[in-house]
Amino acid sequence: MKRIQDIEKLSIEELERIGADESIPVPADLQVRLPRRKAAKAWSVAATAAIVVGLGGFAASYEPAPKDTFEDPYLAYAAVERAFSRMSAGVNQAADKVAEAEEMMDQLNYWNK
Amino acid sequence: MKKLYTLLVLLTLSVTALAQNGRQLYNKYSDTPGMEAVYISPAMFRMIGKIPDMEFQDGEVNLSPIIKSMSGFYILSTSNASVRDALYADVDKFIKAGQYELLMEAKENGSVMRMYTVGDKKTVTSFVMLAREADEVSFISFDGQMDRAQMEELMAQMAKE
Repeated sequence: MKRIQDIEKLSIEELERIGADESIPVPADLQVRLPRRKAAKAWSVAATAAIVVGLGGFAASYEPAPKDTFEDPYLAYAAVERAFSRMSAGVNQAADKVAEAEEMMDQLNYWNK
Repeated sequence: MKKLYTLLVLLTLSVTALAQNGRQLYNKYSDTPGMEAVYISPAMFRMIGKIPDMEFQDGEVNLSPIIKSMSGFYILSTSNASVRDALYADVDKFIKAGQYELLMEAKENGSVMRMYTVGDKKTVTSFVMLAREADEVSFISFDGQMDRAQMEELMAQMAKE
C-alpha cells in the first residue's frame, strides 16, 4: 500500500493513469470525507447571519403608513401653508439676530474710524 | 472571523439607524393626548399638484415648486408637559442618527429653533425643523426631491417678510 507521502510525490499523469486503471479494486468500506474549508464555513455563517439580521431589522423598522390627516387637498395645502408660516417665524427670528449683529458691527466700525 | 464580527456589527448599526425615521416618530406620538399631528401622504401631494386653479401663493412667497416636489409631510406639536421632553429627545436622536446637516439655528430667551436638511448640492431630500419654546415643542418634517436653490430662495423670501 502506498503512503500519503509517496502519493504526493506522484505526477498528475501518474495519478490520472492510476485513477483510470479499473483493475485496482476500491475497498467496499471506503469513506471519503473532504475537509470543509474554514473560510467557506465562516462566510456561510456570515451570509446566514446577514440574512437573519437583515430580515429582523426590516421587520423591526417596518412602520405602517399613517392615515392621511386630510381628505381634501385644499385643506392639506392650507396645513402646509401654516407650517411654512411657522418656519417663516423661525427664519425671521434668525434674520433679526443677523440684522442686530450687523448693526452692532456698523456701530463698532463707526467708532473705530 | 474578524470580518464576520465586523459585518455583524455594521449590520446591527444599520438596523438601529433604520429604526429611526419620521414615520416612526409620527406613529409613536400622533395619538398622544394634546398632540397636534398632521400627516400628508405622497398621494395627497400628487392631488395637490394636479389642482389646476390652485394659487400657490403665501403673500409674496411662492410655495408651488417646493410643494409639488414633496412626497411626505409630518407635523407633531405639543404643549403637553409629560411628552414634550420625550418628543424633543427622540427627534434629536433621529436627527443625529441620520445625515442631517444644520441649516439654521436661532436661540432666544431659552427657546431654540433648528432647521436641518439632507441631500446634495442640487437637491434636498429631507427637511426637519425642531423648535422648543417655554411651553411647546414642534417638529416639522418633509421629504421629497426639492431643488436646493428653490429652497434657499424660499428661505430668503421668508426672511424678507
